[in-house]
Amino acid sequence: MGKIIAVHSYKGGTGKTLLSVNLAATFAKQGKKVCLFDLDFRAPSLFAILKLENAECWFNDYLNNTCDINKVLIDASNKIPSKGKLFVGLANPATEAIRDMSAKDRKWEMRALGRLLYLRNALLNDKSFDYLVFDTSPGLQYSSINAIVAADLVAVATTGDRSDVDGTRRMLRELYNLFEKKTGIVINKVLDYNSKNRQEELYDRIKNTYQVPLLGIVPCFCDILRAEGNFIFAQDKPEHPFSKLLDEMAKKIDANEVR
Amino acid sequence: MSKDEVLGKKPLVILEKIKENLERLNEKMEVIIELQRHDSKDVPQSLSDAPLDVMTLLSMPDHLRKTAMTVCRAGRATADEISQQTSRARAVESAYLNQLVLMGYLKKERKGRKAYFYADKES
Repeated sequence: MGKIIAVHSYKGGTGKTLLSVNLAATFAKQGKKVCLFDLDFRAPSLFAILKLENAECWFNDYLNNTCDINKVLIDASNKIPSKGKLFVGLANPATEAIRDMSAKDRKWEMRALGRLLYLRNALLNDKSFDYLVFDTSPGLQYSSINAIVAADLVAVATTGDRSDVDGTRRMLRELYNLFEKKTGIVINKVLDYNSKNRQEELYDRIKNTYQVPLLGIVPCFCDILRAEGNFIFAQDKPEHPFSKLLDEMAKKIDANEVR
Repeated sequence: MSKDEVLGKKPLVILEKIKENLERLNEKMEVIIELQRHDSKDVPQSLSDAPLDVMTLLSMPDHLRKTAMTVCRAGRATADEISQQTSRARAVESAYLNQLVLMGYLKKERKGRKAYFYADKES
């Protein structure tokens, strides 16, 4: 039985989308069947990263119950060089669609959760997907909490920034815990991550601060900024240290090491 | 000669009915006991059109959230099925479930002797 992973964070700009895309690509690289969903309806970006133009149906339409999930899925396996299967479900980037999604009421959100939960049957069971990855909006809001509730594992991206640390801690305590979610943390954009001392110091600090399993520590790579979103590192640059880190994260998730 | 043949079917049917009614009474009493046990101030007031959405789940006291989430996951379940998931006593789950029904978050449907609970998506 496959797994649903929600990638979430307290603040924006922590690297959720980078992590989601590359994690999905890493699983695909290992020959798995993966689907990546853009659940950041306020700022859709997956279509741009994968250089996809138009979708027959958007993921918004699926949640609105106007479209079947099979029409939403786009086979993006040709965007990656490896043999695995990568599908995507895109959020509609049109301003009108963003406005529409931000004006949904509680009843709609409840039905949307039902439809997210249904993906477990429709995709993991019936279509034998190994992983569904949800890229969410930051912070505490409906679409993201729905994704968290529907997921088996939440990967929380955070940076060392003070504004981020406090909020992430609170979210771990007051959100993921309440929903009894398995949570793994990814510390992104870490500076001076070369010396053994620094690594040990960081490990201890993270353990004390968050008290949840650590999925990975990602140093600040100028290469990633330089790429300007033009590569999927996990696929296009498999020898890059970032890709190696993702291999390890995927291994941890695969082996159920996050509890 | 079996008991059925000696007594006829009717007394048995009547006894079944009495048992069913007693079970219902028991469930109602469990609700009253539970409501007393958890001071009613920590239980959000009933909203007639409140759906069981994630924000509502977040605002619930822990003991009710656990039950409500298990129902959400199962879609439709009896108190017995829920208690197997939560590892709490059936009577306790029954009380929580009935409390959630009273609060307007869940719907209850009787099928014979079984009572099914589910989140009403259309409410």
